[in-house]
Amino acid sequence: MTTFTRALVGHVCRLLEPDEREAVEGDIAELRMPGAEALREVLGLAVRRQAALWTEWGPWLALVGVVIPLGALLGQLSWPWADESAIYTFLYVNNWTWAYVESPGARRDLLDVGTRVCLNDLALIGWSWTTGFALGSLSRRTLWVTATLFCLVVLVVFGLSSGTTARANPFNAAVFSLPFYRIVYPWLVLTGLVLLPGVWGMRRSRRSALLPLIPTLVGFAIVALLTVSAARTLELFAIGHWHLTRLDPSPDGFIEHGGWFRPLRLLPLLPLWPVAFIVASACWRRLRGQPASA
Amino acid sequence: MLGEFEYLLISASARLGDDAYGAAIRQEIERASGQRCSVGALYTTLDRLEAKGLIATWMGEATPQRGGRSKRMVRVTAKGTREAAAFYRAVTRASRGVSWKTKPREDRP
Repeated sequence: MTTFTRALVGHVCRLLEPDEREAVEGDIAELRMPGAEALREVLGLAVRRQAALWTEWGPWLALVGVVIPLGALLGQLSWPWADESAIYTFLYVNNWTWAYVESPGARRDLLDVGTRVCLNDLALIGWSWTTGFALGSLSRRTLWVTATLFCLVVLVVFGLSSGTTARANPFNAAVFSLPFYRIVYPWLVLTGLVLLPGVWGMRRSRRSALLPLIPTLVGFAIVALLTVSAARTLELFAIGHWHLTRLDPSPDGFIEHGGWFRPLRLLPLLPLWPVAFIVASACWRRLRGQPASA
Repeated sequence: MLGEFEYLLISASARLGDDAYGAAIRQEIERASGQRCSVGALYTTLDRLEAKGLIATWMGEATPQRGGRSKRMVRVTAKGTREAAAFYRAVTRASRGVSWKTKPREDRP
């Protein structure tokens, strides 16, 4: 067996329960199975085991309630989220001048923008982490499959949502003419604010599917506040800026903005549901008198 | 009533006695049936039989030839022995008076 096939077999074996993994890997070593045969055998067993797990409701709830809606939402948000902060990063980093600090008006703008971008980024991290944790709790034994599907959904939707209004705006041409902001920055945002926190949440849930009640309630409050602060941005980015401004003809015949309407005003509840699930699980555990690990 | 593969597995385990574990059972089934036995079929059937109370399994000792990994040991329970005996009797009864010798002349069109 080559190092490569041994590594592959080892990876597939990680889908099995620890005792079974031990016995199967031992059988493969004892029977001196060639690499391809060992891989086929282990894959066959892993597929049977995974298929059996999907007869329970947990993985399906994880798929329908977390992977598809939240994977799509987080993938959809990442690109416009990145483009918006790219514009401000370009403004304040690539065109830095001390006047931004010295002028009271510019200083206030800098603080406003910095605070808003930081809060939005924290909200995205919070949603991704809680999504990962809920996914891990709901589909503990099928996590390899659901996590892979989650990442796939995020990546596919992310790939489809690259045409943002920020890029279409000719005033931002200087920003997006730079390859860093056009290509690298969105991937940095996707990786750093969505995928890594999501995987971190999944890993945390593998250690313990339930969190202590008090820290969970505090975490819920923080994520809820971040969601309220980022709600408008979430709605705007989820549907695209132009759809949210009602265009009415003014008396002189020119089109003007007729005010905001919010067809997606309930959308911020979607990224909150994993947090609600985590809190409900912690409360349920507390009511039943079962301890949760820290 | 047992399935055919379940019967093969219980028979192999009974024949191996104290040496019944995953790899040995697999080889015994392949020797007896002349057909390949997949690891997936073996371990999922072991679980099913254990859930029915027909066998008992536990993790045995690790050996150097297994890369220091443990064996999943198997023992046929009294209920498993009864079920296997019932299956054998049923197959024997069903086969009474039947000859499976092929007649080459009849096979030809």
